[in-house]
Amino acid sequence: MKRRRGFLRVLSLSSVATASVLTAVVSSNAGASSGGLAKGAPVKIGISLSLSGDFSADGQAFQQGYELWANDINKAGGLLGHKVQLDIVSDASSPTQVVTNYQKLISVNHDNLTFGPFSSLLSLPAAKAAARYGYALIEGAGGAPSVFQVGLHNLFDVSLPVAGDLLPFAKWVTSLPKAQRPKTVAYVTSNDPFTEPQVTSIQGMLSKAGIKTVFNKVFPAEVTDYTSIADSVAAAKADVVVLGSVDVPTVSSFMQAFEQSGYNPKAMIATGGPDQGTTFLKAVGAKNADGVMVPNAWYGASANPLSKKMVAEYIKKYGGTAAGVSSDVVEAYSVGEVMAAAVKATGGFNNAAIIKYLHSNVTLMTAQGTVKFNNLGENVNPTAFTFQWQGTKFLQVNPIGDPNTVKILYPKPVWGK
Amino acid sequence: MKLLSKNLGWVVFFAALALFPLVVTNPFYTSIGVYALLFMASATSWNMFSGYSGYIALGSAVFFGVGAYTEALLALHWHVPANGNLFWLVPLGGIIATAFAVPIGWISLRVRRHTFVVITIAVFFIFQLSAINFSFTGGSSGLALPYITWSAADFNNPFYYAGLILVVFITLVSAFVRRSRFGLQLLAIRDDEDRAMGLGVQVTAIKITGFTMSAFAIGCAGAIYALFQGQIYPQFVFDPTFDVSVALMVFLGGIGTLAGPLLGALVLESAQQYLTATYSNNSLYLLLFGGLFLIVIMFMPQGVVPFVRDKLTKRTDLERAAVAANDVSSPSPVAPSTPTEVTA
Amino acid sequence: MNATALLSAAKDGILTGAVYALMASGLTLIFGVMDIINLAQGTFVVLAAYLSYALQVHWHIDLFVGLLITTPAMFIIGVVIERVFIARLKGPDRTGMSILVTYAVWLLIEGTLDLVFSSNDVQLQGWYVPKSFTIGAIHFGYIYVAGFLLAALLLGALYFMLYRTRFGVSVRASLADQTSAALVGIDVKRVSTITFGLGAAVTAAGGMIYGATNAFNASSSYDLISRLLTIIVLGGMGSLGGALLAGIVMVFIGDMVGVIWSPIWSTTAYFVVLVLVLLWRPQGLFGKVQARVA
Repeated sequence: MKRRRGFLRVLSLSSVATASVLTAVVSSNAGASSGGLAKGAPVKIGISLSLSGDFSADGQAFQQGYELWANDINKAGGLLGHKVQLDIVSDASSPTQVVTNYQKLISVNHDNLTFGPFSSLLSLPAAKAAARYGYALIEGAGGAPSVFQVGLHNLFDVSLPVAGDLLPFAKWVTSLPKAQRPKTVAYVTSNDPFTEPQVTSIQGMLSKAGIKTVFNKVFPAEVTDYTSIADSVAAAKADVVVLGSVDVPTVSSFMQAFEQSGYNPKAMIATGGPDQGTTFLKAVGAKNADGVMVPNAWYGASANPLSKKMVAEYIKKYGGTAAGVSSDVVEAYSVGEVMAAAVKATGGFNNAAIIKYLHSNVTLMTAQGTVKFNNLGENVNPTAFTFQWQGTKFLQVNPIGDPNTVKILYPKPVWGK
Repeated sequence: MKLLSKNLGWVVFFAALALFPLVVTNPFYTSIGVYALLFMASATSWNMFSGYSGYIALGSAVFFGVGAYTEALLALHWHVPANGNLFWLVPLGGIIATAFAVPIGWISLRVRRHTFVVITIAVFFIFQLSAINFSFTGGSSGLALPYITWSAADFNNPFYYAGLILVVFITLVSAFVRRSRFGLQLLAIRDDEDRAMGLGVQVTAIKITGFTMSAFAIGCAGAIYALFQGQIYPQFVFDPTFDVSVALMVFLGGIGTLAGPLLGALVLESAQQYLTATYSNNSLYLLLFGGLFLIVIMFMPQGVVPFVRDKLTKRTDLERAAVAANDVSSPSPVAPSTPTEVTA
Repeated sequence: MNATALLSAAKDGILTGAVYALMASGLTLIFGVMDIINLAQGTFVVLAAYLSYALQVHWHIDLFVGLLITTPAMFIIGVVIERVFIARLKGPDRTGMSILVTYAVWLLIEGTLDLVFSSNDVQLQGWYVPKSFTIGAIHFGYIYVAGFLLAALLLGALYFMLYRTRFGVSVRASLADQTSAALVGIDVKRVSTITFGLGAAVTAAGGMIYGATNAFNASSSYDLISRLLTIIVLGGMGSLGGALLAGIVMVFIGDMVGVIWSPIWSTTAYFVVLVLVLLWRPQGLFGKVQARVA
């Protein structure tokens, strides 16, 4: 035990010293990885993605988005004349692997820049590892409030912070004339850092408008058999269902159980799943999708010219339709666009300069919409939309008044009709 | 001198581990080293009970998770600044894990082996689900530890050496236990529990003591993990694959031996981290891992360490025989052409 | 909370629980006869579900008709795995070794499935999958009722085979004591192989129902095996009736707690009950008291 004591004393002393020289180290590190790129040398961007394991479906969609962006930028001559080369490694959805991976990307592969992994669960460990090297970590999927509580200076999320996702939907519900307005609502959400804040955020607003909560339960995220939870939601017979889900299987299981129980809500919105394009249609059947809503910042038919360009290229490369493009793709693509803007504005690959620039209240345009970061790296300037499946079309139904908004299909048609 | 030469292998092994981050300074490799050491400590500790007594526990992640949450909660509630002082909490993680082990052991060790395995799994799930569902644990959002801002170049080293100290400590304890009367009683339980009982061994007390002792180092490992990771989530610190991994590492290296768990954990964890980072296709990796694993089990059913030891003793026997034969036939009629080629 | 919700939970418990019991029956038989803990049982279920999926997608074979192909296929897969890997295990620590070997087999099957079918979730389809009928206020999904009937039929057949046939006598003799069974001229090796094959074969029906009622991918096996293991321990290892009761109890307790309290405590409640039962009856609900140290 004596050895341990001595060791720890040395350790705490050294840590004080380390902390005091930190700023210098960080800036010098960042300097080392900066503009000193040889002429004609490619700029390497390190990314760890979950190409297998729990998050693999999203991880693979993210890979498509990143690659699409890299192709585009290279066609246009690269970043400041340097070709972009993506250095993608897999973390198998494991938080330890993600820590190891970013250290490898930066210290072994000597990548110049880093992009984030998929999922809030992995972006925090990744950002902490990147922060030690003074690297900016720009990511598209890690918007849970808990991610920003740490106050990392190098982390930027280009997507919509999750807490505000459902607000346009709640506004629409409360704006309905009394006669049409639903009388009851059921909330059911998985206990996930992504879904719970969204679902709780609108409960006050709806109950103030006189809509009675008849069911409000949290279910464990790791469950795969949703029959009984879905049955009890169905038994509550609420007019509106707000489902806090992260993936397609969850939504499809609930929908199937609702149909079996003969329960037809007037409106149904799920926080994640219906935005997954053809994957969602295939899982639930085209007829059942009719009327189901999802909050998001983007959709395949978006009128944004940057988005149109991206979607066209996506279809050229991977086939399918605009409605079939997963929103993961655009989240990843927008990460690239934000980085490109920062590199151009700062005139180099200096991470310290990039971080400073992104914190300078600039507003950037991406395929997903406008981006502006607050001091925590949250995007404070996104537009929240609500989308709805109408037939096999995925349409923007919120915010009301937007030129691209179409009329909400309400009440939702009976399942399978 | 004799003690040193007898344990030369061990001294070299630990010296190599101690020198590793000084020679290989790249954080990628030292990061793998940190995880490998945490598993080496956990596997050795697990083996000290499950290996010696034959009671396979598949719920050790309970101690790992309790250690991790202790570290995180104490750091947050006591407002420990983000520096080396955080390491003082590591032994507390071990102590709290040990405290939890007493009632768990008392309950789960009232039954025999196969049922014990399942009770440990059930207890594990109760802990994991509680960590997800209670609010003081941060629920599914987990807990963020104080954000340590050491420089990247040697950020990993304090964690590495903390892990190494833990490994040395638990290896010494395990070696000591193995030679003690207490260790012999555990082995007797493994060989034939009823007979051990008949011979007057207080089997229940011995088992609970062993089980409780094994929690400490695993709890410390969990605490170091929490500190290193900087953020803990319930499903990652109460991780069922941790339970399985630790057991596999021990079986692969050689259950009940001292070197087996260390070797098994070192090889498996480093290989897994390195291969995943280098070859990104996981399903191929699963096939490779499963296949290799199967081959090792089929050909070295006792684990690598006992297998190699058997081979080595056989070889030294052969060599001894050869030397003896040489002695008989000397002086050799054929002179070696060059003196450098002379061997044994 | 209302009466309908509770009745509905009871219905789910009985219908789904029986299917879990069917999957677990293979595990409990294999353990009872051979002292082998087959960790690959969960991945067998997933493999069987994927077989049904492949038949459906490529040859448009109905899920239930497909069972005529997948059941013998799973039997053969089980027999081959037993012959190649399990039969070689010898010595006193056979049970421990079997955990490792079947874990490796599990990884190999999971890796192959992941490679062939990708990690995207799939679900089995059929016109009857979303349909249901109503009795009182309770809705009965066709697929759940079919699953229950199939499970009852197959468990009944297994029971008949064990207690009414010559082979059953051999199996039960091996269950009781392998050495004595060998002494009275029972070919324990053959009995073991066939038992393992049967244990795998029951996952064909179990996997099909599982795949039609849940979205699944190769890694669904983790959730499955932990459920199956706890079922057979609660029911008593080697007992078919025990597996049936435990399967139903598991789903029923979870659903009740979900309805009355909160779904997040469903699984916890089940595990607490499991621990309590085992403390009261270490051999499980229907298990025989073990004379030997096992």
